[in-house]
Amino acid sequence: MTDLLELAVSILEAGGIYALMALAYLVVLRPTGIINFAVGEWATLASFFSVATLGWWNLPYIPGAVLALAGVAAIGALTEQATVRPMIERGAPILTPILILLGMVVVYREAAALGFGTQNLRVPPPLGFGRIDLGPIAIPMQSAVVIAVSGIMLAGTWAFFERTIWGKAFQAVAIDRVAAGLMGINLRLVAAFSFAGGAAIAGTAGVLQAPLTSAHYLMGLPLAIKGFSALVIGGVGRVEGCILGGLVLAACERLVMRYAPIPSGFAIGVPLLLMILFLLVRPTGLIGARGRT
Amino acid sequence: MSGTGGRTLLTVRGLAKRFGGLVAVDDVDFDLDDGEILGIIGPNGAGKTTTFNLIAGALRADAGSIRLRDAEIAGLPAHKVAARGILRTFQHNRPFKGMNVLENLLVGAHRRVRARPWAAALGLPSARREDAALAAAARETLAFVGLGDHAASDVSKLSFGQGRLLECARALMGEPAIILFDEPAAGLTSVEAERLGGVIRGIAARGIAVLLIEHDMRFLLPLAHRVVVLDRGAKIADGTPAAISREPAVIEAYLGRHAGAAA
Amino acid sequence: MNAKLAAAIGWLAGAAILAALSLTLTGYHADLFRKLLLTATLAVGYNFQFGFAGQIAFSHYAFYGIGAYAITILSTRFGLALPVAALATIGLSALLALMVAIPANRLEGFYIALATLAFAQLFVVVMVQGGDFTGGPDGLFGFDAPTIFGARLAGANFMLVVSALFLANLALFAALGRSWFGRACRAVRDDPEAAAAMGVDVARTRIAVFTLTSSLAAVAGMAYAFADNFVNPFVFGIDAMFVLLFMVLIGGAGRHAGAVVGCVFLFMLPEYLGDLVGRFHLLAYGILMVVVMMFLPNGIIGLWDRLAKRLRPEPAR
Repeated sequence: MTDLLELAVSILEAGGIYALMALAYLVVLRPTGIINFAVGEWATLASFFSVATLGWWNLPYIPGAVLALAGVAAIGALTEQATVRPMIERGAPILTPILILLGMVVVYREAAALGFGTQNLRVPPPLGFGRIDLGPIAIPMQSAVVIAVSGIMLAGTWAFFERTIWGKAFQAVAIDRVAAGLMGINLRLVAAFSFAGGAAIAGTAGVLQAPLTSAHYLMGLPLAIKGFSALVIGGVGRVEGCILGGLVLAACERLVMRYAPIPSGFAIGVPLLLMILFLLVRPTGLIGARGRT
Repeated sequence: MSGTGGRTLLTVRGLAKRFGGLVAVDDVDFDLDDGEILGIIGPNGAGKTTTFNLIAGALRADAGSIRLRDAEIAGLPAHKVAARGILRTFQHNRPFKGMNVLENLLVGAHRRVRARPWAAALGLPSARREDAALAAAARETLAFVGLGDHAASDVSKLSFGQGRLLECARALMGEPAIILFDEPAAGLTSVEAERLGGVIRGIAARGIAVLLIEHDMRFLLPLAHRVVVLDRGAKIADGTPAAISREPAVIEAYLGRHAGAAA
Repeated sequence: MNAKLAAAIGWLAGAAILAALSLTLTGYHADLFRKLLLTATLAVGYNFQFGFAGQIAFSHYAFYGIGAYAITILSTRFGLALPVAALATIGLSALLALMVAIPANRLEGFYIALATLAFAQLFVVVMVQGGDFTGGPDGLFGFDAPTIFGARLAGANFMLVVSALFLANLALFAALGRSWFGRACRAVRDDPEAAAAMGVDVARTRIAVFTLTSSLAAVAGMAYAFADNFVNPFVFGIDAMFVLLFMVLIGGAGRHAGAVVGCVFLFMLPEYLGDLVGRFHLLAYGILMVVVMMFLPNGIIGLWDRLAKRLRPEPAR
C-alpha cells in the first residue's frame, strides 16, 4: 500500500514535468504551426539561470525563480523576433523556421555549456530536502513542490485558454490564421507571446527538475523527447491532452522501471517506444485535437 | 447522345457521393467519346467538383460505376487513375516549384516511362535515350501550347495564364485518353481564356477526350460539343450547348436563377 | 558529345585525385581523409532522402550504425565470411528500413521526423544496453581488419575502397537524380497530390527512397566499422545526425555538389578554427546553420550559382 502510494507520488511528479514540456510544445505549435525542438534547451537555460539567481546571487527562491523564467521567456521572444518572424514575413515554407529552431537547439545548448560549463551544477530546492508526513507515506519535499507548481501552471494555462479573451485569440489563430488576422487579432503579438509563454513553461519544468538532478547542459534533449512523447500520447491540441499524456508516460516509465524484468537502462526507451506506438496506431492521441492545426 | 460520333471512352452510371447527410452527387449518368469536349456545368453546390474528384480518384464514390473503355476505374486511387490515362489539371495552378518548366512536363510523362528503376540508377543508355526522347516530346508540347520559349524557365517566372498552359502541357505529356479540366478559365483574362480555348480545341482535335467543369458560360458554350447540367447533385439536362440553353429546367435551375438575380 | 566527354573527364579526374590522396596520405591526415569520405558518402545519400525526396528523417546515422554493428557482430561473433556478412548486413538494414518506412509513410510531415528520431534514439539505447553482445557503452573493438582477395583492408587499401564507395554513391545518386525517378521524387517533395495526379505512386516512391538511402547508409557504416576497427554507440547519436542535416542545408539541399561542399566545409571547419573555437565547433555549426537558413536559402552552392551568373552576364554567341 505504502509502496503504491509512493509510486503514485513519483508518477505525479514526473508526469507534471512531462506535461509541462508537452505544453511548451503546444503553446508554440497551436498558433504558429511550428514544432519547436528548442523547448528542451529552454528548460536547460532556465535551470542554469536558476543556478545563477539562487546559487550564485543567493536571491530568495520565488524572486530568483521568477527572474530565471523571465530570462528564458525573453530569450524565447527574442528568438521569435530575430529568426522566426523574418522567415514568416518573407513567405518561407513552414519548414524553414522549424529547421532554424533545430539549429537554435545547438546554439542554445553550446552557449549554455560555454557560459556555465559542462559539469553538473546543484540548484538549491525551495523548501529543502525534508519530507512531509502524510499518514502512511512521507513525500519528499521537492516532489510536493513539483506536483504543486506543475499543477498550478497547468491549471492556469488551461484557464487562460478556456476562460480569457486572450486565450480565445490563441485558439482562433490556431483554427484559422487568416480569418483571425482579419478579425483584428494581432498575429505578431500572438506569435511573440506564444514563444515567450512556451519558453517560460519549459523553463518551469527545467527549474523544477534542476534540484532533483542538478543542472547540466545535456539535460534538454531527454526532456524534449519525453515532452513530445507526452504530447503525442495525449493528443496534439489541448491542455488536457498534455496532462493525460504526461501522466500516462510517467506511469508507464515508472511501472516498467519497478516491475519489468529488464535492465533499468532500457527504461530510457519507454517514451520512445510509446511515441512510436502512438504515432503508428493512434496519431490523434488519447484526446483528439479541437479544430484544425 | 454523342457529340462527335467517336467511340465511347468513358461511361459513368449511377454515380453517387454523400458527405454525412448531404447528397453531393445523386445517381449521375453520362458518356464521353473520343475527341469530344464535354462540359459539366451547374450552380454552386450542384456537385460538379465532387463529380470531377470522383472521376480523378481524389474521392471515392459511394455507389455507381466509372468505366474507361471496359475497365472499371471507380474506387482507384488518383495515381492509378492517372496511370490508366486520365490526367487532370488543377484550378489553382499547381506546378512543381522546385523544377523548371521542362522538368514539370517530364513528370507529366511519368506514365509513359518504360525504363526500370535500376536502369535509371545506373544511367544505362536505354534509360538515357528514353529520357532524351521524352525531353524532345516535351519541347514539342511546349510549342503546341505556346510556351516554346520557356523550357528552361523557373516556374515562378510564368504568369498565371502561362501557369494554366503549363498545367495543360503537363497533362498532355502523359499521352492521356482523357484530360480533366477543373475550371480552366477561372482567373484568366479574356485574351488568355481565348488562347486556352484554342489549345483545348487542339487537344480534342488530336483525338483526346476533354471533360471540363466550368463556371464561365461565355467560355464553355462556344467550346463544348456537349454539356451536362447538374443541379443539387442530379443531372437535369444533357445535350448540345444550343439545346441545353433552350431547356426550361436548365433556364430555371441555372441560367434563369442567375438571370433573375441580375434582373 | 562535348558535355559527355567533359563529364567523363570530371569523373576520372575525381577518381585520380582520390586515389592519389589514398596512396599518399598517412597518419592523422589519412584518418581525416577516410572519415571525411565516409561522411560525404552519408551526406550524398541523406541529401537524396531530404533534399530530393523531401523526407525529414533523423534515422540516417542510426542506419550507418546498424551497418557498422551488424557487420562487426556477424563477422566476429558468428564468424561469417566477410562477403556473407556484408550481404546479410545489407539485407538486414533493408528489412529494418522497410519496417520503418512502411508505417512512417502514413504519417504527415514532421511526424515522420519524430518517429525516425525515436527509432534512432532507440537504436542507441539498445546498443548501450546490449551487454556483451553489443559491447555496451564501450562498443566493440579489437577485431581485425578483414582481408579480401589476399589484400588486407587497412591503410591505403582501405582508403581506396572508401574512395570507390563514395564515387559509386555519388554516381548512383547523380544518375538517379537526373532520371525519371529523381523527378518523381522531387514532384512528391513539392506537391504530393499533384504528383499522384500525374501517375506517381507517392507511397511507393517514398518507401523506395527511404529504403535505398538507408541501406546505402548501412553500407557506408560497414566501411566505417573497419576505419578504426572500433564501433561505439555514441558515435551514431542525434548530434551527428544534426551535423549531417546542417551539412546538407549549409551546402545546399537538393544538389549533390551542395551536399559534398557542405560536408567538406563543416568537416574541415574545426581543423582550421580549432584554436579559435576550441571544443565549441558545434556552436559555430549551429550559428552558421541559422545564418545560412535565413540569408542563403539555397546554401553555399546557391551563392556559387549567383556568383557564376554574375561573372558571365552575357551568354556566349
